Amino acid sequence: MSFSVAGRENCAEIAGTPYVYARTSEGSFVMRATCPHRGGPLHLATLEPEGNRLVCPWHTRKTSMSRMRQEIPAVRSGDTVTAVFPGTAEADVRLSYRPLSVDLAG
Amino acid sequence: MNYQPPRYEPFELHGDALREAIVRYATNPIYLDNEEWENSDNPYRRQLRPQVLPHLDFDRVPGRDRILEYSSLAAQRLLTSIYEADLMFLPKGGLKDKYEDFRQFYSPGNRALGEMIRPALERFSFGFLDEEVEVSGKWTKESFASYITSLDADSPAEPSLSEKAILSSGDRERAARMWLIQFAPDFLSEASPMIRNVLGHYGAPQSEWFKIVIDEYGYGVHDTKHSRLFEQTLESAGLQSDIHRYWQYYLVSSLMVNNYFHYLGKNHELFFRYVGALYYTEATLVDFCRRAAALLTEVFGDGVDARYFTEHVHIDQHHGRMALEKLIEPLIEAHGESVIPEIVRGIEEYRVIQTIADEDFARQIAWMDNGPENKKLHAPVWEAITSGRVTAPVADIVEPHAELSNTHSHEGDELCHIVSGTMKFVSGFDSYQILEAGEGTVIERNRLHGAIIESDECVYQIHSVGDYKKCLS
Repeated sequence: MSFSVAGRENCAEIAGTPYVYARTSEGSFVMRATCPHRGGPLHLATLEPEGNRLVCPWHTRKTSMSRMRQEIPAVRSGDTVTAVFPGTAEADVRLSYRPLSVDLAG
Repeated sequence: MNYQPPRYEPFELHGDALREAIVRYATNPIYLDNEEWENSDNPYRRQLRPQVLPHLDFDRVPGRDRILEYSSLAAQRLLTSIYEADLMFLPKGGLKDKYEDFRQFYSPGNRALGEMIRPALERFSFGFLDEEVEVSGKWTKESFASYITSLDADSPAEPSLSEKAILSSGDRERAARMWLIQFAPDFLSEASPMIRNVLGHYGAPQSEWFKIVIDEYGYGVHDTKHSRLFEQTLESAGLQSDIHRYWQYYLVSSLMVNNYFHYLGKNHELFFRYVGALYYTEATLVDFCRRAAALLTEVFGDGVDARYFTEHVHIDQHHGRMALEKLIEPLIEAHGESVIPEIVRGIEEYRVIQTIADEDFARQIAWMDNGPENKKLHAPVWEAITSGRVTAPVADIVEPHAELSNTHSHEGDELCHIVSGTMKFVSGFDSYQILEAGEGTVIERNRLHGAIIESDECVYQIHSVGDYKKCLS
């Protein structure tokens, strides 16, 4: 499915799980917008200065970016990203908005 | 004794060395300005306007917002000439007095100079795609299949902006001829870029690709060769069908579409991108060709020969499927899922280029249709300049009778003001305004145009106003 890289409808919610497109200094990719720890706002995470990890603003839980970058196959064309989410055909799908941290907004 | 081999340095041209090499290539006599609007059965003559090239900077990568500027048109014209030195062209009427042009075009010197500047021109012309398209994540056969399904490439689509522009034009036949002209670089040497990929040796997909080429070439029966069908389409629409007759009327984006496939085919490291772009173009051509045949019949009547398009409605249903099932899937099977991102990238890059070309053509038709309005706009813009409300750089030009400014464009809006004499200002195929002393026209940014002097002499000014609308307030 396709959604916006930025602005309104920059978040694809697939069966309740939100995803956003992150543009970082280490590369761009589609990522879950919630932290696997306690569901914190990972779309507002900062990039660890020395490493390849995102730091969740809730409990500073660190999530490996290299694994995250592999998770969702996607292609960005201009301001639109098309991603292939698992089980999209049967899932409840909707678009919404999530602000992105400076480190994830490119 | 330790032997240290000389350090390897990859070949790259930059700065003055690049500029000098480009100018050297383009000053070949076959690339100089034409004294006529059309080339006459001479496939070797391509106007590259070498006199302007020293002032252009090709040592950069323009973004999408600047990809229609004159520098890009110049680069795409250069690339067309370079790529096509690999193809075989002969004049319809025989070589005769064109033998020297033939030798020049195919000479090792011309080809070597072209190859030297090609990588830099490709970086300039297609580098923007690195920013436009980005593939991420781990792609599998399953996710690729889902992506292909989501493209819905072979379903009926809405008419493009170009088709709408033709049908709503004040001169539909002229607009449709301009449209057919844009296809000529591609369709008259149809399938030549893809043939670059059937050379070599890489297993069963190579033979599958060859089957597509056999279809495109009409199974060796010349009258069914697709390029022959397109010649007949051109002729039935009142155009001529010799190679690059209408060189001066090609838009930058039309050349970009054609050159994109040469770019992928010439650089075999981009092979998998080509496969992706091939799939998308073949799959979408079915519906496009159905609409194109209907459009041409609506504009020109039943006398138009639309077989080029109706043939593709049929055969491209097979080609889209063949590209997917016989090329892409076996290639992924043989070489692994790591090739999928490149295939996806080829699909998306082609879609970007197609969108750019569609918008560019529709804008050009509007620009041609607005010729009389652009001429009327001279008065208020000229008033803004003479009253001092607007100050713009001005060039004073004097040209003799029959001087032809070969087609070009400008990076900002300009006002052409005729001081004395008569100019025929041309804004596209069969589209012009006659400008007399005291008259003129607004020239829109990035719009293809040229001019010819019809009086003994013409004195005129070009005012670089930047944005003509700011002169109206």
